[in-house]
Amino acid sequence: MSPNDQAPINQDEVREILDQHKDKMKTALRVCAHCTLCADSCFLFHVHDKDPRYMPSHKFINSIGKLYKKRGKIDRAGFKEMEEIVWRRCVLCTRCYCPLGIDIPEMIAIARSICRSQDVYFQWSELEQPAD
Amino acid sequence: MYDFIRGPMVWVAFLVFILGTVYQVYRFYRWSRPQERYRVRIPFGKPPKDPEEKPEEPELTWSQKMRLNVVGVNPVMVSVTTIFHLALVLTPFFVLGHNVLLDLAWHASLPSLPEAFTDGLTVVVIAGGVFFLLRRMLYKRVRAISTAYDYIVLFIATAPFITGFMAYHHLGDYDTVILLHLLAGEIMLMAVPFTKLVHMPYFFINRFVLVHENTLGAGGSRVWR
Repeated sequence: MSPNDQAPINQDEVREILDQHKDKMKTALRVCAHCTLCADSCFLFHVHDKDPRYMPSHKFINSIGKLYKKRGKIDRAGFKEMEEIVWRRCVLCTRCYCPLGIDIPEMIAIARSICRSQDVYFQWSELEQPAD
Repeated sequence: MYDFIRGPMVWVAFLVFILGTVYQVYRFYRWSRPQERYRVRIPFGKPPKDPEEKPEEPELTWSQKMRLNVVGVNPVMVSVTTIFHLALVLTPFFVLGHNVLLDLAWHASLPSLPEAFTDGLTVVVIAGGVFFLLRRMLYKRVRAISTAYDYIVLFIATAPFITGFMAYHHLGDYDTVILLHLLAGEIMLMAVPFTKLVHMPYFFINRFVLVHENTLGAGGSRVWR
């Protein structure tokens, strides 16, 4: 559990980070043609039996895209969901390829910093231990 | 109505398209800056490295190279999308009907391709549109991120070709169809700078101007501010 797990989300802080990267995000979200050509470049997509939730585009649309569209108005449960996307479904290996040249890793990185600013982050101690 | 759509509306559409695209490009230049060239101080005693010298690349077989390339991974999609986009952008310039209108208005026109050929290209665009539509509806991964907006944009992009095909073959009431064709073309032009179709100018910005790993051409010159 993160230290301030139950604290309300500071939306002003979230919006401030969003505004810092507004240009890149706006462009990326608008330019993405939802073509899914990025899918095959993600090794996690292949490892997880081609589950669409592991597509780079799915990850950035549902993390930073959601934050941007809702102007940061996402509750803690929403942030927890985002933690799942930006840490567990993406390892930021930066190998994803977008034919339209969108920098997907950067979008995920911005989503991670927004999560971190609200004390939402990945913790190894929360990982389930494999049974012997 | 017909006169308005054939007259002032065409000008409005072209103006919105051109000014809108210029605005988008301007906005990119305002949001980005030239890439800085860092000066690297060479440590004393070390011979300077030739900046032109590139690290040795491992030798790959043809099939290995294809596996590392989007063309090899998604050959059908890449072929269809390339042909679709080329036909979509180029066909309107060389349609005889369009050039006759240009000639009547300005006494100048572009060379025209044989009508049977442009008709074929139109069918290629429509077929590409059907391919994308089916892909979006049936392919699990595409459906996962598709929204109504994606379908609308696909319709905006292909409508001028569907109505153009219908007008050329006199399918349906000609007067209505040609009016719809004009309207569809105008809507498409105006949609380019302000919808997902903005990937038209941004493809070139992202792939040729922005500096990143997958930049094509000279390697790009600008980075985000």
